[in-house]
Amino acid sequence: MRGIVRAMATTLGTFVRGPVTREYPERHRPIPQRDRAFPLLLWDFDTDEPFCTGCHACERACPVECMTVLMKDNPAHTSLGGTSKRRKIIDKFWIDYARCMRCNICVEVCNFDAIAMNNTWSGHEISVYDRADLVMDLPQLLAQHKAGAIDEWVAP
Amino acid sequence: MVANTHEQEFETQELLINMGPQHPSTHGVFRMVLGVDGEVVTDVVPHIGYMHRGAEKLCETMDFRQGVGYMDRTEYLANFNAELSYVLAVEKLAGIEVPERAQWVRMILCELNRLSSHFMFTGAFGTDVGVFGTAFVYSFREREVLLDLFEEITGDRLMYAYFRPGGLAWEVPDNFESRVHEVLLSAERGIRDMDGLLTQNEIFLARTKGVGAISAADAIDWGMSGPSLRASGVPLDLRRDDPYLYYPQVKFDVITGEAGDVFDRYHVRLKEMRESVRIIEQCMERLADGPILPERLPRMLRTPPGEIYERTEAPRGEYGIYLVSQGGNRPYRLKIRSACLSNLQALRDMTIGHYVADAVVILGSIDIVLCEVDR
Amino acid sequence: MNGEIFGFEINIWLDALARLGLAVGLMTVAAMALIYLERKVIARFQQRLGPTRTGPAGILQSPADALKLLGKEDLRPKNADPWVFELAPYFVFVPIFLVFVAIPFAFGWQIRILELGLLYVLAVSSINIVGWVMAGWGSDNRYAMLGALRAAAQGISYELPLVIALVAVAMVVSLPGDVRGSLNLGEIVTEQGHIPYIVWQPLAFVIFYVAMLAELNRTPFDIPVGESEVVGGPFVEYSGIRWSMFFLGEYTALLLLSLLGAAVFLGGWAWPLGETVAEQNEILGVLYQFGLTAAKTGFLIFTVFWVRATMPRMRVDQLMAFSWKVLLPLSFAQILANGLVLVYGWPDVLLLLASGAGLVLLAVIIDRAVKRPAERPGRPSGALEGEAAT
Repeated sequence: MRGIVRAMATTLGTFVRGPVTREYPERHRPIPQRDRAFPLLLWDFDTDEPFCTGCHACERACPVECMTVLMKDNPAHTSLGGTSKRRKIIDKFWIDYARCMRCNICVEVCNFDAIAMNNTWSGHEISVYDRADLVMDLPQLLAQHKAGAIDEWVAP
Repeated sequence: MVANTHEQEFETQELLINMGPQHPSTHGVFRMVLGVDGEVVTDVVPHIGYMHRGAEKLCETMDFRQGVGYMDRTEYLANFNAELSYVLAVEKLAGIEVPERAQWVRMILCELNRLSSHFMFTGAFGTDVGVFGTAFVYSFREREVLLDLFEEITGDRLMYAYFRPGGLAWEVPDNFESRVHEVLLSAERGIRDMDGLLTQNEIFLARTKGVGAISAADAIDWGMSGPSLRASGVPLDLRRDDPYLYYPQVKFDVITGEAGDVFDRYHVRLKEMRESVRIIEQCMERLADGPILPERLPRMLRTPPGEIYERTEAPRGEYGIYLVSQGGNRPYRLKIRSACLSNLQALRDMTIGHYVADAVVILGSIDIVLCEVDR
Repeated sequence: MNGEIFGFEINIWLDALARLGLAVGLMTVAAMALIYLERKVIARFQQRLGPTRTGPAGILQSPADALKLLGKEDLRPKNADPWVFELAPYFVFVPIFLVFVAIPFAFGWQIRILELGLLYVLAVSSINIVGWVMAGWGSDNRYAMLGALRAAAQGISYELPLVIALVAVAMVVSLPGDVRGSLNLGEIVTEQGHIPYIVWQPLAFVIFYVAMLAELNRTPFDIPVGESEVVGGPFVEYSGIRWSMFFLGEYTALLLLSLLGAAVFLGGWAWPLGETVAEQNEILGVLYQFGLTAAKTGFLIFTVFWVRATMPRMRVDQLMAFSWKVLLPLSFAQILANGLVLVYGWPDVLLLLASGAGLVLLAVIIDRAVKRPAERPGRPSGALEGEAAT
């Protein structure tokens, strides 16, 4: 009988301790800075263009091949009368969030620190009715950092 | 005489009961067909393969860094341990020296992962035995704290992709040590609650003692490993017997059971959690500053031709990676030696002759991860 | 013939209808409240919050669930036996409601005062096993069949200790005029004005409580509906309104047996000071007596929830062995001891001593039984040579 009494005492102990539930949609737990949701592209505010030069490094390193990158000549390059030092710049960029396995390799291989993992709740709460809506194009990938909503963390 | 005529009049019929792949108590998508005579199980036919995703074959097309992410997906409850087997194999093949700090951090994380995995076991096992969710919630309360810590370190709650051939992907956060101590305190509270709820409970004892017993010889024959083997009284622990990382430098006991029944399998795991806490505390004392990656690491890792088998003690048993390389940056062949698959083989032997209700408990006590079984 | 309800004289048929309607309506509401309370209480035991979304603190959860269940399609499997399948819920539902006729809530407040109330309660309440078996048989589902057979075996085995434990109390009821023994629930409660029968008959109370858990199919005896084994047992194929009738029946039965336990063992409305307060002020007295009944019933129900949050499930053979080998002999021993005391006119303290000794014996038996590991009931390892089942 001792074991039963002990078990009942244990449950009574937790009864008194009170709930530990986090009520999720109402209260968002603060998530750590290193949180990895999905990759995003970063915006270079100095020259007002993306950091990304479309060098295909991330595309080649991606284990699940969820990225598609197209590069073009930068119209804002200094040789063309612009202010940017980037000779080439990203033209089109798609990331299929439905395929991405969030391994962080694209961030590690990027030579220009142009890509980072979304570390806000907006990266976790993306549910759509159509898988095609999870294929993000360049404006969508840039929008959050451009709006200053991301405090990105890139592994040193 | 009377009994004889009854036997002739009543013809009993074996009933086939399908458990799974959609059944509340099959862990993951496992299907077993039970032949039942009344309430007694006369035959068990397990069906596996619902979760097969070809992880081994996929890894042949991945370079060594990319493969780490796939290891996570084969063993989703002990990801650090799975990653560790893989990176250890690659490191040994490529001859990479791993810095000391990285090794200690790996050890701490693997033991923490063992804690979280065993919490998962105790919770699910409690539900199998029939505790209405309480054991599950106690376990998940503490597992949640552990996952929070993992998220702070690696950025993800489940698919860490944190170990790299050569060391770690990045440095642990500054408050690592204090956070680990906090987490250990809460884990100890969880173990205490679990212990109080189940270990001495008479009904729990009645349900588990003597159920699904398997002898040491049989367990070895079936190729069982890990806590399931140790419960039968075989003191085999790869951390001690085939050491890797710095396990020889820490003190811990190899927990063994006696009867090899369901209760021992539960109790060995519960005691092992306390040992894990002990190991982590020793590791925290030895943890010193230093680099986490070797100084000279090529941008794209290539290994010389060769083959290697590297095994580690994952929470469920021996998790082995057999790696064949023909040179280049990816494996020629990768074979995962899954502890769960071998342990699951013994299910039929353990279950036949017990009651239907015991079949559920026995399956729970093996603590399978179907992802690892099917890969 | 005219009946009387709340002081108004009405036709006896109308009277019966009014009483029935009151019982069904109140009990449905009470069962829904119990479902909500169980979810909240067990959530607290598990450090969760329980329902929070519907209404303040989730109090509208049960009505919401009821509405949802009403709106669901009432499915019947193709191979099910239509009559047996569709009638089964009524066989579970109706007897339990009939039982309320005899339960005393306060002095004079019961639907009908029956001279053989206890007998009536026990006789009617055990009919619902038929409903369970019908549900299991009619569903044409193997889980349901297993669950129903388990339910039948369990219901019959635990009915006996339950009845005998109650009989033990009915024996020792001492009425005015030195008469012992009564089956009238009203009298049983009234006689507990000073000392409730749990003091004289602790063993009977424990046996009653355990058998009550088993009768209600609640943890640790929820074998017929074991979620992790037979996926809900006999109800596996039911949906919508029929399923909710089973559920309602279960919770009403919980309320019913708790009320019965409170009345027979814990002194119902009479202890402590039930009659004294009523003598001072009639309305206050009734309220106080209702409060006493509610508090004791509530306590019993709370412990049932508590046990549910704590205990693992027993196995079917252990369950049967516990009933036939432990509870039944002990309850007979209790009756025997009571009989001896009454026949020879020994002091009542002996009742307590005998019962207490039995309680200690029960604890010892449980302790010793656990030390022996279970043996494999079926064929030993030789069975492995057979062919695969599929």
